[in-house]
Amino acid sequence: MAAERRAQEPRLENLAVRGTPVHLLSGGAGPDLLFLHGAGGAGRWLEFQTALAGRFSVRFPSHPGHGGSPAAGWIEHISDLAFHYLDLLDTLRLERVHLVGASFGGWIGAEIAVMASHRLASLTLIDPVGIKVDGWIYPFLFGMDVPEIVQTVFHNPMAALALAPPDASPETMALQYRQGTALARVSWNPYLYDPLLRRRLARITTPTLLCWGAHDRLAPLEPCGQAWAKDVPGARLRVFAESGHVPHLEEPAAVADAIVEFCGGLP
Amino acid sequence: MKFYYFHLMPYVMDHDEPSSWVTLSNRHYDPKVGQRLYHEYLDQLEYAEHLGWDGLCVNEHHQNCYGTMPSPNVMAAMLVRRTTRAKIAILGNGLPLRENPLRIAEEVAMLDVASGGRVISGFVRGISAEYFSTGVNPTHSRDRFYEAADLILRAWTEPGPFAFDGRFYRYHYVNPWPRPLQQPHPPVWCPSQGSSETVEWAAKRRFPYLMVFTPITRIAQIYGEYREACERNGYTASPYQLTVNVPIVVAENDAKAREIAEKHVMWVFNTGLRMHPPFWRPPGYMTEASVRRMLENPPPLPSELTFAQADAQGYIIYGSPATVRDKLRVFSDELRAGIVCSGMNGGSHEATLEMMQMFAEEVMPHFRDDADVDETAGVGR
Repeated sequence: MAAERRAQEPRLENLAVRGTPVHLLSGGAGPDLLFLHGAGGAGRWLEFQTALAGRFSVRFPSHPGHGGSPAAGWIEHISDLAFHYLDLLDTLRLERVHLVGASFGGWIGAEIAVMASHRLASLTLIDPVGIKVDGWIYPFLFGMDVPEIVQTVFHNPMAALALAPPDASPETMALQYRQGTALARVSWNPYLYDPLLRRRLARITTPTLLCWGAHDRLAPLEPCGQAWAKDVPGARLRVFAESGHVPHLEEPAAVADAIVEFCGGLP
Repeated sequence: MKFYYFHLMPYVMDHDEPSSWVTLSNRHYDPKVGQRLYHEYLDQLEYAEHLGWDGLCVNEHHQNCYGTMPSPNVMAAMLVRRTTRAKIAILGNGLPLRENPLRIAEEVAMLDVASGGRVISGFVRGISAEYFSTGVNPTHSRDRFYEAADLILRAWTEPGPFAFDGRFYRYHYVNPWPRPLQQPHPPVWCPSQGSSETVEWAAKRRFPYLMVFTPITRIAQIYGEYREACERNGYTASPYQLTVNVPIVVAENDAKAREIAEKHVMWVFNTGLRMHPPFWRPPGYMTEASVRRMLENPPPLPSELTFAQADAQGYIIYGSPATVRDKLRVFSDELRAGIVCSGMNGGSHEATLEMMQMFAEEVMPHFRDDADVDETAGVGR
């Protein structure tokens, strides 16, 4: 039992990817899987990651400026992050991976897929942002205080506790500020989307699973999830009834099972 | 000491909304009231010149009841034709907030020419909330500020046309007509909140540094840093490079002045600067070093500032003419500030005009050793 628990502890590495330092968590065994986190999710190896690690060799890097990865001044656009992760795959000598991205991480994942579907064995996007959807303006999280953000992002507010900062020390607050800065750098305006991405989604040739919280108030299933389902060729859409914007935090086992099942059914 | 009359042009009102900025609905703005206020405020500025103030200040803020002057250049234009002597200080234009900052070079040059060279051009980044009102990415704020300032200064001083190829601003032809009348360009001031990066930037260029609504100990500290930075850059700061913006209330006696200050000046802090907390701290607006400094010693939110604190920490000057003179001596003799910018509010237009007159007659003449000095000579450019 103790040995099993130890096996689930992720390994921490500090890498340099083309000179950019990366804080990387790794764990599990099986086909290679790259997980790209959303805002506030850096370095949080939780039930979802543990479940995936039961079937995959999971790599979970922190985006530059998030968690333990220092800010990188050269990152000015979302495509810079996509190229950064293609470089990470090269650094790790991973020819193809299953890519799972949540929210902001899903946006990066989609940008990678439109560039280089051949590097992906599958693509799972969990309530991604990143495209402009007619009739929808993403609520402006940068203008919200914490209770408003929780209200917008979570259907089950208790799930938000997993992302709560450990304390209110200047150190922790400075990290929060750095993460917000790194996020705003690429997403303040246009807010949470790349105007060029939507028409490029047709280039995705990777088998794609869309996981969507039925109660997402940031990027609602209708119209956002439906737009992705329509524009990503052959995408399968799974809806999670008890989730808001972050089903991997709100229904982690169910989302992990859906990914395992989807990847297991691939040729 | 030089005296500048500073107007925020507030839309004074009481409300229960969480923020006086960005989200306070403009349905609260009654244009009929606004018309009356603009004329009263402009009358006050014109009267200030008549009473002997050396300069008249306008500034830029967006989407709030604190200051209804989204375009300071429009207000400066109105003053240019109604005044003849006073400097007109635009404190300032929010450089990063413009998509085309060459417009600032053009508008300020227009004002400088039309006014016969009376314009002072403040360069500011705009306060945090403006980034919510304009959509400009706050993580670009500082870099856009430096680049726009460079562009404007070159547009004023280099014969055009020339090409400018920046990270944010690009032009094949920079060649603004008119050119400014003051040479090499109108004095530039830096109203700021004391970040060490801006102190260094301003000191290096001899741009006067203006501290707005700041506790007196902090003013002393930042003035010290600015003076040191000037020495490092090979010169000694002139007193006219050190400017302070502090509200002043003067009345027959201390008790009456205190009553007015509590009622009308505290509105600026407690209501005018009431802000939904996220609007104070947009990501990337401050450097991480500045954020850490602030987190280690968090200043009180203006909306929570009590009169007792404001009084004790020197956010305001109030009292009888004799008391106000004594308090001003702290600024002139101890802080060695060469210019005091202040607005006044007596509670009504008439009361404000009376207060201005009392100040001009009973306070100002005691600080006029430098009456013959041109405060803009050799600084700001």
